[in-house]
Amino acid sequence: MVELDLTFVTQTVERIGNGPENTLAILQAIQEHFGYLPTEALERVCSLTEITPASIAGVSTFYSQFRHRPAGRHMIKICIGTACHVKGGQQIYDTFQRNLGIPDSEDTDPQELFTIEKVACLGCCMLAPAIQIDDITYGHLTLDKVPIVLRDFLEQQKAQAQQADDGAYIKSNGILGEIRICLDSSCVAVGSTKVYDALKKAVKETGAGAVVKSVGCSGMSFLAPLVEVVIADGPSFRYAQVTPDNARAIVLRHFNPKQITRKIRNTISTMLDKILTDKAWEPVTRYSIDVRDQRVADFLDKQKHIATEHCGVIDPVDLDEYVRNDGFKALKKSVNELSPEQIIAEIGLAGLRGRGGAGFPTHLKWSAVLNRKSAKKYVVCNGDEGDPGAFMDRMLMESYPYRIIEGAAIAAYSVGADQGYFYIRAEYPLAIKRMSEAINNCLKRGFLGDNIMGSGFSLQLEISAGAGAFVCGEETALMASIEGRRGMPRLRPPYPAVSGLWDQPTLINNVETFAAVPWIMRNGADAFAQLGTSNSKGTKVFALAGKIARGGLIEVPMGISIKEVIEDIGGGIDGGLRFKAVQVGGPSGGCVPAKLSHISVDYETLKDVGAMMGSGGLVVLDESDCMVDIARYFLEFTQNQSCGKCTFCRIGTRRMLDILERLCAGEGKKTDIDELEHLAQMIRNTSICGLGGTAPNPVLSTIKYFRDEYEAHLDRRCPAGRCRALITYSVTDDCIGCTLCAQHCPADAIEMKPYEKHEIDPDKCIRCGSCKSVCPAEAIKIE
Amino acid sequence: MSKLTIDNHQVEVDDGATILDAAEKLGIEIPTMCFLRGYKASTSCMLCVVKINGSDKLLPACGTIAQDGMTVESESDQIRQARKAALELLLSDHAGDCIGPCQVACSAHMNIPLMIRQIAAGKLRDAIVTVKKDIALPAVLGRICPKPCEQVCRRATFDKAVSICLLKRYVADVDLQSDNPYLPACKQSQNKRVAIIGAGPTGLAAAYYLQIDGYSCKIFDDHENPGGMLRYGVLQEKLPIDILDAEINLIEKLGMIFKGQTQIGAALSMKDLQKDFDAVLVAIGQPKPGDAESMGLKTTSNGIEINRKTYETNLPGVFAAGAAVRKSKLAVRAVADGKEAAAAIGQFLSGQPVTGSPYVFNNRIGKLVDGEIERFMADAGKSERLTPSPEGSGFTDDQANDEAARCMHCDCRKPISCKLRQYARQYGAKPNRYKGPRRLFVQHLQHPGLIYESGKCISCGLCIQIASQAGESLGLTFVGRGFDVRVTVPFDHSIAEGLKLAANQCVEACPTGALSFRKKT
Repeated sequence: MVELDLTFVTQTVERIGNGPENTLAILQAIQEHFGYLPTEALERVCSLTEITPASIAGVSTFYSQFRHRPAGRHMIKICIGTACHVKGGQQIYDTFQRNLGIPDSEDTDPQELFTIEKVACLGCCMLAPAIQIDDITYGHLTLDKVPIVLRDFLEQQKAQAQQADDGAYIKSNGILGEIRICLDSSCVAVGSTKVYDALKKAVKETGAGAVVKSVGCSGMSFLAPLVEVVIADGPSFRYAQVTPDNARAIVLRHFNPKQITRKIRNTISTMLDKILTDKAWEPVTRYSIDVRDQRVADFLDKQKHIATEHCGVIDPVDLDEYVRNDGFKALKKSVNELSPEQIIAEIGLAGLRGRGGAGFPTHLKWSAVLNRKSAKKYVVCNGDEGDPGAFMDRMLMESYPYRIIEGAAIAAYSVGADQGYFYIRAEYPLAIKRMSEAINNCLKRGFLGDNIMGSGFSLQLEISAGAGAFVCGEETALMASIEGRRGMPRLRPPYPAVSGLWDQPTLINNVETFAAVPWIMRNGADAFAQLGTSNSKGTKVFALAGKIARGGLIEVPMGISIKEVIEDIGGGIDGGLRFKAVQVGGPSGGCVPAKLSHISVDYETLKDVGAMMGSGGLVVLDESDCMVDIARYFLEFTQNQSCGKCTFCRIGTRRMLDILERLCAGEGKKTDIDELEHLAQMIRNTSICGLGGTAPNPVLSTIKYFRDEYEAHLDRRCPAGRCRALITYSVTDDCIGCTLCAQHCPADAIEMKPYEKHEIDPDKCIRCGSCKSVCPAEAIKIE
Repeated sequence: MSKLTIDNHQVEVDDGATILDAAEKLGIEIPTMCFLRGYKASTSCMLCVVKINGSDKLLPACGTIAQDGMTVESESDQIRQARKAALELLLSDHAGDCIGPCQVACSAHMNIPLMIRQIAAGKLRDAIVTVKKDIALPAVLGRICPKPCEQVCRRATFDKAVSICLLKRYVADVDLQSDNPYLPACKQSQNKRVAIIGAGPTGLAAAYYLQIDGYSCKIFDDHENPGGMLRYGVLQEKLPIDILDAEINLIEKLGMIFKGQTQIGAALSMKDLQKDFDAVLVAIGQPKPGDAESMGLKTTSNGIEINRKTYETNLPGVFAAGAAVRKSKLAVRAVADGKEAAAAIGQFLSGQPVTGSPYVFNNRIGKLVDGEIERFMADAGKSERLTPSPEGSGFTDDQANDEAARCMHCDCRKPISCKLRQYARQYGAKPNRYKGPRRLFVQHLQHPGLIYESGKCISCGLCIQIASQAGESLGLTFVGRGFDVRVTVPFDHSIAEGLKLAANQCVEACPTGALSFRKKT
C-alpha cells in the first residue's frame, strides 16, 4: 500500500485548532482531501491534538457523512426522503446500482468512478425523486433517465474544465432593470445555474442595460427555473421553466441594446441560431406567465410572508439590499432602545412558539436563559433540519441569511449571550456557504462583532457544520455535536438554559423561530398575534411536497386548514389519483387522513389527531401510497438515525421495523399489530429524547386511521399495489408489441416479441417498474 | 436538600442526588444494569425506570435528579411491563446461550461444558463431582445413553459433535477404578424415611439424592437384585453387570437399603408404606394394567397421573416418577426424574412449599448466521472427533484430553453473575419474544486476562468510562450508531492493547457475559 502524505493533516490541525470541539471540522477537511478517513490520518490527528483515539473513532463512526474506505471519484447521493420515497427513490437507487454494475455488498463501481449512497433527505422534495452527484442536483428522475444523468454529469465535468469564469455582473451604463433568478439548491437542480449563466452571457454579449441577479426563492418550485424580469418603474414579467436557450431572447425582448452594430450582430447571431438548430424557433412568450396567472395567484394569495418576507425579491447575500429593506432595524432598536426584559415581553405578547417542532413558548426559553447568572452564555441556531420531507430551514438559510442572523442577534442580546453557533446540517452546503458569507459581511459592517452599532453589546457568531445525523436536531445531541462529540442526547433536566454548551446556559432556537423575530420587533407583537389561532400565533413555513400539483415552500397563517393548503395553494393532487392522506411532521409526526382535511393546522390540533407540527414537512399521499409502507419507511429512518443509547429506541424501533418489514413482505402474524402497538407505547413512554419519544407516531397514526390496510397485509394483500412482495406485474391486451418493455427490463423477465403481446415472467420480475414507465400503451398492470 | 416520596415513603436527600440514591436511602431496591456508582449514569438500559408524579412517562432512576415534592412510584404493573420489555428487547439482540445447548438437551441438565473443561484441565475429581450433581449413574449412562446432548452439540455444525457421552463415561470409569471413588458428603440425618418402590434407574437416582440430603431410603423391588431394566433389560455386552453393581454399591454406601423380592400388594400395601414412611416414591417403571390402581393411584394414558412439576400423585405424600409416569423410556430421563422427584420430596419433607425444581432462565442463540460457527471455533481444539477402538471401549487419558479440547464453550462464562439473566428471570422475560436481525457471536481472545464477546454486550458503556478514567491510552469506544452501535478498541486495535490497565475492573463491572475473565476451567 502506498504511504499517505500526511502533511495535509498537520496543516489542517494548525489551521482549525487542536481542541476536541474541532473534531468534526478536522474530519470533514480530511475527508474532503482524501475522499475518506484513512486510519493513519486519524492517528496523526490524535498525536497532534487533544482529541483521543476513543473519541475520534467514536465520532467518525457516528455521523453518516464520514467514510472509512476510499470512495469513487464522484459521490452520487440518492435521496430517499419521504417525497422521494413515495416517488420511487429506492428504485432509482437500484437502477443506479445496476447501471454502474455495483455489486450488492459494495457501493462503488469497479472503475472507482462513482460511489452511490442513500441520503436521508436532500431537501429538494418538490424535485422528487432527486439525486446529487457531487454538487450537482438532478430532479424529477425516472428510471430511464438514469443513464442520461450519468452521461450529462460526465459531459458537464468536461465542459467545466474548459470553461473560464466569465466574471460577475455586467457593469453597464443606464441600468434599465433586473433579471432575477433563484439559485437555491432545488432551483439549481432543475437547471437554474445554466439559465443564470446564459442570461449573464446574453447581457454581456448584447450589452443590455440589465443586471442579472440571484435572489431568494419565491417558493414556487413547481415553476422553476423561474426568471423574473423587472423593468425600473415598469411592469414585471415572469418566465417559467426557462431553458438556457431562452435567455438571449428574454434579454433581447426587454432590454433592446442601443448600439446598432450590436443590434445587427444580435440579429445575425439569432438568425444563425435559427438556422443552426433544426427546431423551429419557439417564441419565449409561450413560457411567459403573468403574476395574475391564476395558478400563481392562488399559490401566493393565501400566504403571509414573515419569515420569508421579500421572497423572490432580494439577493440573499446582498447586505445593502437587506438593509434597504428594513434589515437590522429591529436589531438596532433592540440593542439601543430596549432592555432584554422588554424584548422578551414583546416576544411573549406575540405568542411566538418554537418552530422546530414541539412549540415551546419562545419567550419562556429566553427568560430562563436570561435569569441564569453566568459569565458566559451561548446562543445556538438549530439548522439541523433532518426530517425527510422538510426543506424550510434550508430555503430560509439559503434565501434569508441576514434575517436569521438578525433574529439570533436579538435573541443573544435578550438572554445575555456573547457567542453563538449556527449548527447546519452537512447536506446543505449552499446554506453553509451563504450563512458564512452573511456572517462575514455583518462583521465587516458592524452588525456583528464587538460593540454592535455602538450599543456596547458584542456577539461572535460562527458556523458549526453537522455531519449527517438526524438525532443532532435534538438540542442536547446538537450541543454534544458542537462540542465535537458523538451526537447522543442526554436526560433533561438540566435543560440547556441551565447547563448547555460546555455546561453554560444556552439558548437554542430553530432557524424559523429566529427568522420571525425581526418582523415581530419591527411590526409589533400585535401584528403577529393577530395572525393564527388562539394558541398558535403567527405564520408557519411548510415544505409542501409529494403527490401535489404545486409543491414548494409556503408560509401560511397558523389555523389554515389542511384542505386549503392542499387544494388552494398546492393545486390538489398531481396525476389525477385521489388524495389519501398528508404526512405531517416527518418521522416524528403522523398521517392525517383525507377525511380529516378540514382540521386546522396548529400545534394542538395536529397533536390531537396523532400527528405533530414537527418542523413543517407536508408530504401529500395519494391512493397509490401504501400506509404500511409509509410506516415502514419512517421506522427504517428513525431506526437508522437512533443514536443507539437507550434500549427501547435502539432495539425497540428495530423490532417494530422487523414487524413492518414482515407485513410488507406478506409474512405478518396475527399478533403483529398488537405487538406494534405494545412496542410503540413502551418506546414512547420511556424515551428520554424527542427522536425516540416520537418515533412510533407514524406507526400509531397509520394504525389508527388505516387499520384495514394493516389487516389486508396480514392477508398478503397490498391494496395500494405498492409492496413489492405482494404485487405482480402483467401485460394487458392493450400491448402493441413495441418491445420497449423487453428492452428496458433489467431482469430479463420479458421476452422480446415484436408486434405480439408481451409477457412478464413473475419469477424473474424484480418489480422495478421499468416496463410500466416506458410502456407507451399503458399496458402494464400491477395487482 | 430535597424531600420526596418513593412508594409512599418520605425521604430527604442532598441536592443533586438521584432518585436511585433516594431509593437506596429508603432501602428500596431498584434494578439496574448500566449503572455503577462512581461513574456517570448513562441512562441506557432503562431497567431502572420509575414513574414520577403520575406522568405516563417513565424515567430512569439512575440519572433523574430528585426534586423537592416529587412523588415516585418504583413498582407497578406498568413499570414491571416496561422493565420486562426492556429485558426482552435486550435478549433479542443477545448472541449468547446462558446454558450450552448440550446441557439443555440433557434430560438431567448435567453441566456438560463444565465437566469437559474440568477434564481438559486434568481435574477429574472435580469432573465427577460435576457429573454426579445431576447424574447418579454416570458409568452406566456412559454406556447406554442415546446421547440427546450430542445431537444438539454446536460443534456438529462445524464438523462432528464432541463425544460427550464417552467423556462422561471416562470420568465415571476413572472414578470407579480409583482407590476411593467419589462419595458425596451427606447432610445430617433429617430423621425422615422414604420408601421407594422400584430399584430401576429412577428409584436408584432418587435414593442417591435423598440420601445426600439426609433422608433414609428403603427401596422395594420384586426382583432379587437392584437395577430394574438396567439389569434385566439391557444387553450385558453394552452394560457389564459389574459396572452397574459398582455404581449401585456407591448408593448403598450412602445408606440406601435395598429390599428385593418384595411386591407391593397384599403383604405390603401402599397404605402400610404411607403409615411406616414419611414419603413414598413410586418408580415401578411402565406399570402393568391394574398395578397403579391397586395402589390407589389415578392414571392417565401416559401412566400414573402426577403434577408434572412436583411429581405429586393424587395420594398425599406419594410421588411417582420415571417410566411409571411417562412414555419416554430413556435411561437418562429416568435418572433425571429420580433427581427431580427427590428434590420435590425433600421440599415436602422439610415442610417447604412443594414447587419442584426451580425455573432456570436460558437465552438461546438459536440458528447461527453464516460465519458464526467459525467464531465459536476460535478457541476450540481443531482435531477431529475421536472414536476409541475397539468399538465399545472408552477413552484413554490422552484421547479424553484431546476430545475435551474440542468443546467450543457455548455456555456463558458468567452464568451466575450476569445481571441480564438474573433480571430476565426475575421479571419473567421471554427470550424469544422478538425475532429479527441481531448481533453476531464474536470472541476477542487476544487479551491474556479476559475474553470479550461483543455479541453479548448491551452497550451500557461502563467499560468505556472505566477505561477512560483509568487513563488507558487507547481504551474503548462506541462505534457506529443506532442498532449497530458496538463497543470496540479504537482503530481496530486488539482488546489487549485497549485494556492494559483496567481489564479487571471492566470485567467486574460488565453486567453481562460480554467481558469475562479468562479461566482455565
